Amino acid sequence: MKIDQLLRQRQNRRSFLNRSTVGIGSLALSSVLEPWRVDGASLPDNLGHYRMGSATAKAKRVIYLCMAGGPSHLETLDYKPRLAEMDGQPMPESFTKGQPIAQLQGQELKCLGPQHEFRHFGQSGQHLCSLFPNIGGIADDICIVRSFHTEQINHDPAHTFLNTGTSISGRPSMGSWLWYGLGNDSENLPGFVVLTSLGRGGQGQPISSRQWHSGFLPGNYQGVQFNASGDPVHYVKSPSGVTLADQRRLVSAVNALNRKLDEVVDDQEIATRIQQNELAFRMQTSVPELMDISDEPQHIRELYGTEGGDGSFASNCLLARRLAERGVRFIHLYHRSWDHHGGIKKNMGVTAKEVDQASAALVADLKQRGMLDDTLVIWGGEFGRTPMAQGSGRDHHIRGFSLWMAGGGIRGGTHYGETDELGYKAVVDPFHVHDLHATMLHLFGVDHKRLTYRYQGRDFRLTDVHGRVVHRILS
Amino acid sequence: MTKQVSRWLGSLALGLGVWSPGSFAWAEPEVRFNRDIRLILSDKCYRCHGPDENARQAGLRLDLESEAKADRGGSRAIDVAAPERSLLLARIAAEDPEERMPPAASGKTLSVAEIGTLKHWIEAGAPWEGHWAYLPLKRPPVPQVKAAAWKSHPVDAFIGARLEQEGLRPSPPADRETLIRRAYLDLVGYSPSADTVARFVRDRRPFAFERLVDGLLASPSFGERMAVYWLDLVRYADTVGYHGDQPYSVWPYRDYVIDAFNRNLPFDQFTREQLAGDLLAEATREQRIASGYNRLHMITSEGGAQDKEYLAKYAADRVRTTSSVWLGSTVGCAECHDHKFDPFTSKDFYSFAAFFSDLKEKGYYAGSRWEPELPLPTAKQKQELTNLESRIARLESVLTTSTEALINGQLDWEGQIAQADREGRLIWEPIVPSRLESAEGATLKSLADRSVLVTGDNPETDVYWATLSEIQTRVTGLRLEALTHPSLDGGGLSRGGGNFVLTDVKVDVVDAEGQWQKSVALARAVADFSQKGFEVARAIDDNYQTGWAVEGDQKKESRRAVFTFAEPVTLENEGQALRVTLAHRSDKNRHNIGRFRLSVISIDYPGIDETGLPDGIYRSATTAWEQRSEAEQKLVTDYWRGHSPLLDEPRSQLADARSSRNRLKREIPTMLVSQSVAPRTMRVLPRGNWMDESGEVVDPAFPVFLTGDAEPEQSLSRLDLANWMTSRSNPLTARTFVNRMWKLMFGNGLSKVLDDLGSQGEWPTHPELLDWLAVEFMDSGWDVKHLLRILVTSQTWRQSSAANDWLRERDPLNRWYARQTAYRLDAEFVRDVALGISGLRVDRLGGPSVKPYQPEGYYRQLNFPQRKYRADSGASQYRRGLYTHWQRTFLHPGMKAFDAPSREECTAERPRSNTPLQSLTLLNDPSFVEAARMFAQRIAAAESPDIAAKIKWAFREATGRKPRASETGILVGLYQESRDRFAGDEERAVEMTSAGPSPGPEAAGAADLAAWTMVARAMLNLHETITRY
Repeated sequence: MKIDQLLRQRQNRRSFLNRSTVGIGSLALSSVLEPWRVDGASLPDNLGHYRMGSATAKAKRVIYLCMAGGPSHLETLDYKPRLAEMDGQPMPESFTKGQPIAQLQGQELKCLGPQHEFRHFGQSGQHLCSLFPNIGGIADDICIVRSFHTEQINHDPAHTFLNTGTSISGRPSMGSWLWYGLGNDSENLPGFVVLTSLGRGGQGQPISSRQWHSGFLPGNYQGVQFNASGDPVHYVKSPSGVTLADQRRLVSAVNALNRKLDEVVDDQEIATRIQQNELAFRMQTSVPELMDISDEPQHIRELYGTEGGDGSFASNCLLARRLAERGVRFIHLYHRSWDHHGGIKKNMGVTAKEVDQASAALVADLKQRGMLDDTLVIWGGEFGRTPMAQGSGRDHHIRGFSLWMAGGGIRGGTHYGETDELGYKAVVDPFHVHDLHATMLHLFGVDHKRLTYRYQGRDFRLTDVHGRVVHRILS
Repeated sequence: MTKQVSRWLGSLALGLGVWSPGSFAWAEPEVRFNRDIRLILSDKCYRCHGPDENARQAGLRLDLESEAKADRGGSRAIDVAAPERSLLLARIAAEDPEERMPPAASGKTLSVAEIGTLKHWIEAGAPWEGHWAYLPLKRPPVPQVKAAAWKSHPVDAFIGARLEQEGLRPSPPADRETLIRRAYLDLVGYSPSADTVARFVRDRRPFAFERLVDGLLASPSFGERMAVYWLDLVRYADTVGYHGDQPYSVWPYRDYVIDAFNRNLPFDQFTREQLAGDLLAEATREQRIASGYNRLHMITSEGGAQDKEYLAKYAADRVRTTSSVWLGSTVGCAECHDHKFDPFTSKDFYSFAAFFSDLKEKGYYAGSRWEPELPLPTAKQKQELTNLESRIARLESVLTTSTEALINGQLDWEGQIAQADREGRLIWEPIVPSRLESAEGATLKSLADRSVLVTGDNPETDVYWATLSEIQTRVTGLRLEALTHPSLDGGGLSRGGGNFVLTDVKVDVVDAEGQWQKSVALARAVADFSQKGFEVARAIDDNYQTGWAVEGDQKKESRRAVFTFAEPVTLENEGQALRVTLAHRSDKNRHNIGRFRLSVISIDYPGIDETGLPDGIYRSATTAWEQRSEAEQKLVTDYWRGHSPLLDEPRSQLADARSSRNRLKREIPTMLVSQSVAPRTMRVLPRGNWMDESGEVVDPAFPVFLTGDAEPEQSLSRLDLANWMTSRSNPLTARTFVNRMWKLMFGNGLSKVLDDLGSQGEWPTHPELLDWLAVEFMDSGWDVKHLLRILVTSQTWRQSSAANDWLRERDPLNRWYARQTAYRLDAEFVRDVALGISGLRVDRLGGPSVKPYQPEGYYRQLNFPQRKYRADSGASQYRRGLYTHWQRTFLHPGMKAFDAPSREECTAERPRSNTPLQSLTLLNDPSFVEAARMFAQRIAAAESPDIAAKIKWAFREATGRKPRASETGILVGLYQESRDRFAGDEERAVEMTSAGPSPGPEAAGAADLAAWTMVARAMLNLHETITRY
């Protein structure tokens, strides 16, 4: 599109603004005119929506169930009989030499066999740890990836890497990229929502709000964290003594005054401000309404195993479905309970109980509502855990671990990739974090090489200069 | 020239504004390489035909003229002699998509216009220019302009000349109300009061505006305003950013920055002090604080982090930041490979990093103990410290001086030991508890070795009760052993990572039914090992937040502690028992002792070893005097003096003095600073991989293309780096800084990409003006206030910012400056303005960061340790935004909503979003609600005859201008309607007007105040209030 064309389109700015009511934070107007954006492929349209490829899109939204802390692949999705045989024996040096190690630095490395049984589930016969019978129940809907690998071995940088494709801070997270690229289908809620829960199975590793930051993308693409206690969104409640009717009256007066000002100064930001004030007011109702699950029937609550309102993972899964129904583009759950440096046998049991039922319920519930086809569900952590023992637990591990995906164009009942016989390194079809990003964007009909944003003189991508779409896991 | 400018600026103040610009000649070739060609080649071609050797295709470079025009076996990419034979043109215009450049796979395409421009340029002989930002700085002549009012100021002359070329006319000057508000917002960061505005509007003396500007530049608030921007660049924050995001003390650096701008420290000196303040001869305290710049990056104390990996991260961070702050360059891109677009090599990157290799630092800081720290006592604290030290010395001498009473006492005591030894009472006796309980439902069970193992539930915190019955002798103390066990984490001491925090130990006497009878006072606690900051005495200090810990996650060893009773206890009645309480109530999860054993003893002053006396003491004390060596004698005497009641008083005084000293030391602020040590080896890390040691070893060196690659005569230091960056021969620093100051005053940079003046940046809209200002800045002695005065006193700055459709179409981004630019205020200033309007703002300079109201539980995700946010009360609650506690991973939500950066990386330009979260913040954040309520009180109290007059005053207080009748009408309507609504519901009125600590109104006046609060909230929510016009 040529700049003069764009300008012509924008001449009647009133009608332009009227058309741009869908995005929660419509793109700052001045930035629509950045000359570099007026350049072929990477031009977002007026709503900040990416214009490419949506005809081929399978997925419309993502629910990312982040198992924060680093679940052991060896007690979830990747059974290693050879490791069981080697239990207690020294880890062969050929595996570990020159590899990055976290807390096991400088210690004797011994194999720790799988601490729990595995079973076959579903018609597809997927092989899963018996601690996850409910996820076993959706085995035919999921694709297990056993060759995932990443580059950062400590929690904080590893989350940053998984979210932004780099461990350097200040880059947008995947939720922001998707919102920026595709806009949002909700008129009353942000396009990127984050929910967190804390379990009792491991150390409660901190999660930084950097993980849902929009980085160099405009601030309106930042993920918004919804809280289980207190105000669900910061400042979404009127001050005490102020009713919604008072608030309505106030916003009307403010916007009437803003319009008066616009007559004099003719400032385009004013129209946006008016729109945002209105949206803010709507959020004062839509957010509490979203969080209130009293309209969910009993069988649904039982399916997830929650009565809601307690900030548990199960409660968040139910909220995730409600957010998905309302058109939110990217819904990111973090469950902080997987950092099993010690007592992994018992702690895996604790954490598995916390997530198994609700994870499976979410997939089943989406399916029965016909939403699974266009909702991509991803389940996995920022890294896996060592085949070597760390006392009675396992240390961080990045060379090979597992995740599963369902819906949104993923082929269910399948698995992809393998680690070596001890579960150390991804050796068959390695699946890098960049590949996950590329494949995810592909499911939205977006070429990961073309979703770019120029910053500091460089066209940045979620996949940096890497990433490949893995077609074999697609339906 | 500088002299001329100062004369011009001075003459303005004298009312004799004269500026005689040099003659101007601007013969422009039609196509200019730097302006028209370079960006096309850089963006579309350099990825494969640029500086990066590894990515180069077909051996062709288009970033070098000689290569691009070279003979390549009979043909040339650019053939000046026969332009139509240029391969470049053939390939970019090829019909065949296989042939066409850039290749489809690159995702890049050339527009028809771009192809035309390239063709045109090659036909004109393809004249080359070096990249503009790297060319030497020369002061360009000031152009001639026609408009009389725009002749006399160099900024206006450059801007005016370009406007004339573009066929644009400048906007009229802004009215005085707008002008003073803009000047306040740009130079001090808050808005003027209605009175101040009125005074300025009435001031008809010549040069009233210049006086206003000088006054603002001299205001202490100027430094605060400038600091907000500088702190973004250097990514200043109050916490370390990685993982647990623990606090570190660097706020003295923030105060240094404020002060440096206020006293107009020349920018070159400012640069030297930050990069190398510690290396300056006779470095002052301020200069050493300034050197903290090198330590402002993110730091980790995450267990398992590797030193080497994080040292590499910190080194890369310093290169990214320093090159961005001073050179406006993205040297950071050369971490893994040669820069794709600019001539920085990967070796340049690591040579740059090597400048900082002398810093004393670690990669992983265990226990969040950051160092080196510079203590910064006040004069008073310094004096107090001296006094305490001498008091401690005096008391220590009292304790070591012999008296007759002491000697006699010692003889008695030794007699008692001898007797106890004969009777076999000198041994700690382990007791199997008759009853064991856990407050949180853990299972406590006794083992054969009389220890107690904790199993079952593993609660976050827990309290154990152990009842010790059937004790026959008197009891003088309790010994607690914390024991390792294979079932505990890592074979350590707890199921919470191996460590524990024992927050309280209590001993009570209970009857046979377990009913409490009396408490046993614990006189002292001793342990064989305590973690720093978790000394065993903290388990008996009556503070449940402190306790005893032993680094059990690292050191998996059993530990013991002895708690001595103030008075011996003898259990006389049937069934009487001692109940021991072991509480673990810290914020460390599950840090509960996993296995323990309790023992009692009957001799006075029991020690920690099995015999009840330390081994050495036992042996020596049971040896006859005459047979003891001198050392043994001293051992026994010291032990006696350490425990004798005869010395209780000086001993407790000494303990008090020592703890006062320690408390004082903790109160004395510190600053993380630079300290130079022997440099560590720096290598080029192939592809940035910190584990790869195959790369070449490098010394500190400047980027080769800027300085040449001659070997320096001696090894270079951080000071050399600072001196080079601010030398006349380096054109980047002045261009970078001047461009950013322009942005602060005009909304956009002259080159829009503030952090990249390289080839991917933007060719400046007014290159001559940028260079003129850069030279002027250097010639003035790097005088920042001088530079800003030049910008702000121009007619260009003073124009109205009002736009119209025609102007917007002609110049949508206002790059030719036919008007001023309107934009929303930065987050800190949004707060400062609201606090100012409310009358709450406390204008105090500097000090530790403060904590404004923040939503409950916002830090719940933080851990190691868990954090509880306590909002400040009193004056600290109402400080300017820049003093807000900057938690990198969880920045205050109000600040974040208005695009304040987390400051994890250098930020040269904040985005300016417009979001519903901003509206929610202004509407409902308690800081803004309280500000509205206090503003309402001012409005209600204003001496005005009627509602409309009050509203007019208030409107001007908030926006600087008088409202129009229609605007007053809207607010009068809001007031009246609100008053009617609240009049019927006084309870609600009181509730809404009670925000903040000031007492709420009487019910009688509440409806009125509530209505004014609604009006005040409306004004704080106006787009105009948070916008600079």
